[in-house]
Amino acid sequence: MATTRDYEPNVVLSNQDYNVVGTRPLRPDGADKVTGRALYGADFAAAGLLSGSVLRSPHAHARIKSIDTSKAEALDGVRAVVTSADFPQGGEGPVVWQRDNVLASDKALYRGHAIAAVAAASPHIAEEAVSLIDVDYEVLTPVTDVQSSMKGDAPILHDSLMTDELGEKADKASNVASHFQHVKGDVKAGFKEADVVIEREFTTKTVHQGYIEPQAATALWNNDGRLHIWCSTQGSFAARDACAKILDIPVSQIRVVPLEIGGGFGGKIDVYLEPVAALLSKKTGTPVKLVMSRADVLQGTGPTPGSYAKIKIGAKKDGTITAAHAYLAMEAGAYPGSPVGAGAMCVLAPYDLENALVDGYDVVVNKPKTAAYRAPGAPNAAFAGEQVIDEVAKAIGMDPIDFRMKNAAKEGTRQVHGPTFPRVGYEEVLEAMKSHPHYNAPLDGPNQGRGVAVGFWFNIGFDSACNIAVNADGTVTLQEGSTDIGGTRASIAMQAAEVLTLPYEKVHPTVVDTDTIGFTAVTGGSRTTFATGWAAYEAAQDVRTKMIDRAAQIWEVDADTVELEDAVFKSKSDPELSMTFAELAGQLGRSGGGITGTAAVSPSGVGGAFAGNIVDVEVDPETGKTEILRFTVVQDAGKAIHPSYVEGQMQGGAVQGIGWALNEEYYMSDSGTMDNVSLLDYRMPTSLDLPMIDTVIVEVANPGHPYGVRGVGEAPIIPPTPAIANAIENAIGTRLFALPMNPAAVAKAVMDK
Amino acid sequence: MKPFKFEQATTAVQASQTHADAAPNARFISGGTDILGEIKESVLEVNILVSLAGLSGASEIISSDLGLEIGALVTLARIASDQSIVETYPALAQAAESVATPQIRNVGTLGGNLCQRPRCWYYRSPLFDCLKKGGETCFASDEGNKYHAILGAENCHIVHPSDVAVALLALDATVVVSNASGDRQMPIGDFFVSPDVNMLAENVLEPGEFVSKVKIPKPSSGTRSVYLKAKERQAYDFALSSVAVSLEVRDETITQAHVVLGGVAPVPYSVPQVDSELTGQKIREVDVQAIGQLAVKDAQPLSDNSYKVRLTASMVARAVSRLISE
Repeated sequence: MATTRDYEPNVVLSNQDYNVVGTRPLRPDGADKVTGRALYGADFAAAGLLSGSVLRSPHAHARIKSIDTSKAEALDGVRAVVTSADFPQGGEGPVVWQRDNVLASDKALYRGHAIAAVAAASPHIAEEAVSLIDVDYEVLTPVTDVQSSMKGDAPILHDSLMTDELGEKADKASNVASHFQHVKGDVKAGFKEADVVIEREFTTKTVHQGYIEPQAATALWNNDGRLHIWCSTQGSFAARDACAKILDIPVSQIRVVPLEIGGGFGGKIDVYLEPVAALLSKKTGTPVKLVMSRADVLQGTGPTPGSYAKIKIGAKKDGTITAAHAYLAMEAGAYPGSPVGAGAMCVLAPYDLENALVDGYDVVVNKPKTAAYRAPGAPNAAFAGEQVIDEVAKAIGMDPIDFRMKNAAKEGTRQVHGPTFPRVGYEEVLEAMKSHPHYNAPLDGPNQGRGVAVGFWFNIGFDSACNIAVNADGTVTLQEGSTDIGGTRASIAMQAAEVLTLPYEKVHPTVVDTDTIGFTAVTGGSRTTFATGWAAYEAAQDVRTKMIDRAAQIWEVDADTVELEDAVFKSKSDPELSMTFAELAGQLGRSGGGITGTAAVSPSGVGGAFAGNIVDVEVDPETGKTEILRFTVVQDAGKAIHPSYVEGQMQGGAVQGIGWALNEEYYMSDSGTMDNVSLLDYRMPTSLDLPMIDTVIVEVANPGHPYGVRGVGEAPIIPPTPAIANAIENAIGTRLFALPMNPAAVAKAVMDK
Repeated sequence: MKPFKFEQATTAVQASQTHADAAPNARFISGGTDILGEIKESVLEVNILVSLAGLSGASEIISSDLGLEIGALVTLARIASDQSIVETYPALAQAAESVATPQIRNVGTLGGNLCQRPRCWYYRSPLFDCLKKGGETCFASDEGNKYHAILGAENCHIVHPSDVAVALLALDATVVVSNASGDRQMPIGDFFVSPDVNMLAENVLEPGEFVSKVKIPKPSSGTRSVYLKAKERQAYDFALSSVAVSLEVRDETITQAHVVLGGVAPVPYSVPQVDSELTGQKIREVDVQAIGQLAVKDAQPLSDNSYKVRLTASMVARAVSRLISE
């Protein structure tokens, strides 16, 4: 393990100098978090607050024949009981799925599916009342993995679900919600040109995001008809919109207040408790709080899918890939909507391919409806694709980084699903990997091995808003609607500070509720520093312009002649005229009133991000235990606004990838129950299981952002599973085709060799 | 979780009587790291918890020429760091150190560790009415048994979760059990019972009885011991397989051996055939691989845990190998 850095941590290729951007200030929310003062979802309190509890299905697949809540309602201290029948009915497709996922109507489709909920004077009464609800189930056979679910004789989850087969609706119920294709060139002809063709099959298990804070939501359906919700969410507006749809009320009737969030990783975009708490509050007229247990989180919220992949890649001896075919099938969980679409966009993205075909299948199974998890779909796909790339490189005798470089996607490369890459930093990432001391250090031992892999995530833009107000003391307050999961209060405030030439400490950011700021999309898709940062940039430009106008008005000069530099306004025509930002701020009231700036943006210049890993492992061939000896993440950040938080994302993605690679899995019984339903048995890695994770930030500026930002949150979870698999293959001479690569699996692979 | 009463006992007699009077719906509590989880997860319903934390004299480690006496309230953290234990009974210190996390070792006690309930995920889930809870089925028989027993299990396939017990058995410890009328003591191997003897408990404690101390005889000068534990992650994990070995070596010859397996059977599992095979061997001539194989020769793995057979053989080989090269 490297204890000191023997390399340059930043490969800075964006060539502008900044004052604030690129520095590493303290986060504004730090003090509250390290002292325990921060208020998370479950910390919310209100006068007259009732406690709720949710009844969950003990069966993975069952028809709900009747629900008798009378005994629960009769229990002393119980104030309300709700079921799906209390929701407005009607609609079809996604809205019904969303509503049924929150409270099951005709069928329970996974163990842990919410069936009914109670509001009571205390959590204990609520819990007892839940146990008094009688549900008459007709238990059905469950199907819990993608390959079984695609078979013709599999139990059918939804009688009305017909496969969308390449755009055509089938006429028979099936668990395959859709099959789509991306085609480029002619793969048949391409494979004929190849000297080497390798085809392999891979499987992965369901894994959970593992955010530390369980879901929590409090709702108050006020006497005036307005619904207030305080919750732990990645998107207050997304939560508002989902509740509006499920409850069939206008969005304006709902106000969502995002509380501090203890992790999300994509899993806190969908709503689970919010609409149920709202129903309970509507019935009781008082605020009602619902909080999940860890078992509820694992069984009742959306994990990321188990999957099956078959990858075929052909190449010439000179290293040119002639054709690639990726077949991806992913579990959607109980309702359609797996991340196979995103996986299909990413699986072959690092390669400039003449001939390629991607088949994607979205398949329902009796498990919780999957939710987003950090680059959803892409790690499953990369585990398969990047292993075959490694094997092909080996077969033709090429260094795996050289092989990737020879076929590297670059500006102008048309991706298999259509779009052409703008300027991307993939080649620079590969160069940084190849020249890294880690890649060139000798291994030391018979069971040690090194692996590399890369990953691509497209990132998203979408809507963001920002308000800035100037205070009389020369500071500014900044309001934004993006929940802060990874230090974005800082990275957003820094972009405003840069525009206003203020020190970072003079900008005070606050995450506000949906009544206080313009529509802002979720903290997800690695978009927040990119898009909400851009909104802050624009709002700051608005303030800057107004401040310059005010200085010009006071000085009675033309605004064109006033400039702002290092927080001082100066007149270009009269060197005597000069005033600091704070001096002008103090005069605003007397010179025409306060100044605020505002912006709402929906930027299109999203820059995709590439990440690469170099991993050294040592495998104990008898116990099957894999130890990670050294781990290096290289990633193109475009421009790292706050390099420490970028490194944090790179390390965090690697940590989750390591857990996914070596241990994490939903261990499902045939009856569809998750056996390992605690964080003791669902093994996420601890600090003792992890090496120091070294980071190299590559900065190839995104031309689509004022500071060159690319999203960084998701790409780093993509390469770890294949990089570790490639390293294990290098160590023991045999390849693992299934996740997780836990001691039992590795020991078996060694035995079977 | 159902409401329960909490009784803070100040004397052994009071603790014992309170417990006996309320049996079978009473439990003792000391560190609480195991039992509170059981209650919160609705695996266990109790009317009363009798706290032993206030009992005097149960928090001491007394070292003498005869050996060691460790009070049941001594924490695992203390056992792991106590100088006399680290030097003279290394397997015990290593076993205590291997438990869970620092937070749990700081609170969890020796007595509680010996009396903890199985970690079997069917036992721990309120959804499964398994044999251990008075039901009629062992759900681990056919599937979902990756962490279950490969040795000594007939109907119920739990593994005993204690690390410390495995080391104590290898060190020939004695368990002292108290009740209102006094103490009784037994070799630790007789303290634990397999499900075939008593499906609903893992030890011989009667209502009103609790573990008050553990005694370990002073090892002879040629004795060495070690505890090795294979786990999937480095902290906060129970043993996939573990082994404690105590060897007495004189003139390069093994004169006494005790090999005990953990994480593979419903009780800490002695393998006497290995002990007798080792005894009398020159340490330079021991075939550790063969010894490892011998330790698992009776293994009957289930559908998902055959990896444990090879793993356990390897752990035994490593432990013996480490001791004979000391």
